[in-house]
Amino acid sequence: MGARRAVITGVGAVSAFGVGYEALANGLAAGRSAVGPIRSFDARTFPTRVAGEVPIEKTDALFLEKHRGVLLHVGEAGTWEESGLLRDRKVCFGLVAAAEAWRHARCGTAERKAALSVGLGLEQAFLEDLAEQIDGDEIRVGAGNLSGGEGVRFRSRVDITAEKIRAVVGISGRVAVHASACAAGGMAVAHAASLIERGAVDVVLCGAADSMVNPLGIGGMSRLGAPSPRAEASACRPFDRRRDGLVVGEGAAMFVVEEESRARARGAEPLAVIAGFATTQDAYRATAPRPDGSRALAAMERAVRRANLTPADIGYVNAHGTGTPLNDPAEAKAIRALFGDVPTSSIKGAVGHLMAAAGAIELAACLLAFTRDLLPGTAHFEEPDPECPIHVIGPRPLAKRVDHVLSNSFGFGGQNVSVVLGRPG
Amino acid sequence: MRLDGKGLPIVALSTLTTAGLAGRGLGRRVLESSLPLPSEIAAPAPSRPEDVRQRKLMSRAAWFSALVMRGALDEARWDEGRAEIGAFFGVGASGAEMDEVARLVAASMEDGRFSLARCGREGLDACNPLFAFQIMNNFTLCHGAILEGLAGPNAAFFSRGTGTVTALEEACAAITSGACERALVGGADTALHPVTMAELEREGFLRQGLTPAEGAAALALAAGAEAPIGYVEAVRVFTVDRPRGALVPRTGVLRDTAVPAAFDALEDQPCDVVVLAPWGTPAREALMDLPEVLEAEHAVDASLSLGESLAATPALAWALALDLLAHLDKPRALVLSAGPDGDLGAVVLGRGVWGRSSARPSVAPIDEEGA
Repeated sequence: MGARRAVITGVGAVSAFGVGYEALANGLAAGRSAVGPIRSFDARTFPTRVAGEVPIEKTDALFLEKHRGVLLHVGEAGTWEESGLLRDRKVCFGLVAAAEAWRHARCGTAERKAALSVGLGLEQAFLEDLAEQIDGDEIRVGAGNLSGGEGVRFRSRVDITAEKIRAVVGISGRVAVHASACAAGGMAVAHAASLIERGAVDVVLCGAADSMVNPLGIGGMSRLGAPSPRAEASACRPFDRRRDGLVVGEGAAMFVVEEESRARARGAEPLAVIAGFATTQDAYRATAPRPDGSRALAAMERAVRRANLTPADIGYVNAHGTGTPLNDPAEAKAIRALFGDVPTSSIKGAVGHLMAAAGAIELAACLLAFTRDLLPGTAHFEEPDPECPIHVIGPRPLAKRVDHVLSNSFGFGGQNVSVVLGRPG
Repeated sequence: MRLDGKGLPIVALSTLTTAGLAGRGLGRRVLESSLPLPSEIAAPAPSRPEDVRQRKLMSRAAWFSALVMRGALDEARWDEGRAEIGAFFGVGASGAEMDEVARLVAASMEDGRFSLARCGREGLDACNPLFAFQIMNNFTLCHGAILEGLAGPNAAFFSRGTGTVTALEEACAAITSGACERALVGGADTALHPVTMAELEREGFLRQGLTPAEGAAALALAAGAEAPIGYVEAVRVFTVDRPRGALVPRTGVLRDTAVPAAFDALEDQPCDVVVLAPWGTPAREALMDLPEVLEAEHAVDASLSLGESLAATPALAWALALDLLAHLDKPRALVLSAGPDGDLGAVVLGRGVWGRSSARPSVAPIDEEGA
């Protein structure tokens, strides 16, 4: 009996290009960018006014019923809306992407024991709710002094999205919620593959959802100085000499990952093999990545080795590529050292930085390499930077057939994950 | 996951409870009922100048975690090769301090109401620029990793119980797969944060006997270590059926799941010590018969002594069980945690050579540094 391999058999996505994986794939294949002015709240006085925002004004019961419908109990979404849960946009994005992936993989009752491995961002906090509790300079919150009803979720459970996915999709397996900042999505998919390879489960619904396109999220990131100060659609230009910061994005990408022989036996068509993965930490600083990229390099090297490949086998690197002055040179050094001139791109200029969901949406983008023989482009990349001496694919996608790709995700705090996908045989 | 042979060696541990920062003695203190009641922990002062600066940016859980990481590393004498040490932790919700949030909100008020425009103009400037780091819950893992130079394989799982058990399982998987040879694993959290208290009340946990607490624990795991203080023999997460929308299962369902889960985890081997960590009264009622069913000689309810510290609870229960094995001179313990996430975590621990370990006891026994 051969080793167990994990394959992706279904994908769902919600991104700035719209709801559904096809919207993402078509947008990237066309070389478009979906970053624009923030519309979901009035950000005119905020230091950051553009985002990779999902093109809907409101997440509510109607949104869920339109995109999900059949798996919801009658009136269920309305109850969630009334309780304030759907104000947290990532709950809706995660649900819709999960349901799409589940349908895409044609999963049914035989897959109901699937596990769930999901990367999630922070619990949603609404400043206006907290404002209702302010008394002078103090916020009165605590047992016996509830704040803002069901909607206030500050420092509360992060796993609400996971709980709702589990219920709505109807899976009964174990749940793991990855809290690894911008590495969470990649970590969740790597974890899914690990569970399958070691025989712990046969099917995992995995991926990530996040939204920080809200006053506290955008404001907090602005205070850190991470976003580009330019309120322009081209605000994020990864690896470009003129890059000056990231653009916050939102959305979700979910996958059905299953053991290959089981998938083929039931007639599911693998979209990709999860061939390898590895994690490391920078252990450097809270505020900056390790400048020499050595731990990112270690993650990539180990992921390639775990896939029983050599660096020369990797035909495309989907970079973390945030467009910040510090991330891109460190990552480029690592990519150059391991892969030389391999075609590399970042989709963050096109959809923004989806934070916890970044790794998941970027793995979804990587599927283009196998489904359409296209390597996604790097929106707004125009001027190469000598500090980033790698082969950056320009704004247009590159038509090229490759057999293996590698995707990086690096989180605030220093968590790194690299995932290698292979063309299904 | 069942580990081969005697199991995966545990070479050191560190706990932070109301009794202080300690490596050993927790089990005996619990048996003697001599632990202070669950309450806010007077965390030890930082020991290095650079930590004082870092601490300002970090949540309470992140600081707790850093303390137990340091304690476990010291006891394990892992001074070398830290870049390849793994770290796997159960982490709680974000750690925002309310005074930072209050400053932001207060500066965003206009005519007694929250003003988004004013928030953008003035409110944001009122809070610490690094406030976001306090909010990010993965810093419960990363803060300690940065301070101690841990750069190996890693994962941070959101936890109200089983996330921490998943962290242990992934640490074991990382070591057995060869991704690393050594790893720290544990959890750190506080249920005493005012918004968490409000949340626990809203969800009905407080009126059902959940005693909010805070704490942290870390174990040091090493492949092939000689003279370890214990072994991880098996680690499992069990999902428990519950009505759609319910946070936790019904008591009867939890009971019906727990018994086969315990036997499954033990693989029908005898177990001398059972440590239970039920979140509150319904879970306690579901698990209370288990020691008798398993014919265990000794049973301890960790939550009665330590309270419920969410992501930290299972890790504290493991540390407690290891200490009990040594104190009672018994070979095997089962730790069954049933946190407010509704699922079950089962960890089977074996006794090592506690007291004869080559590890240096730089973290004091609990009664030498306790309250």
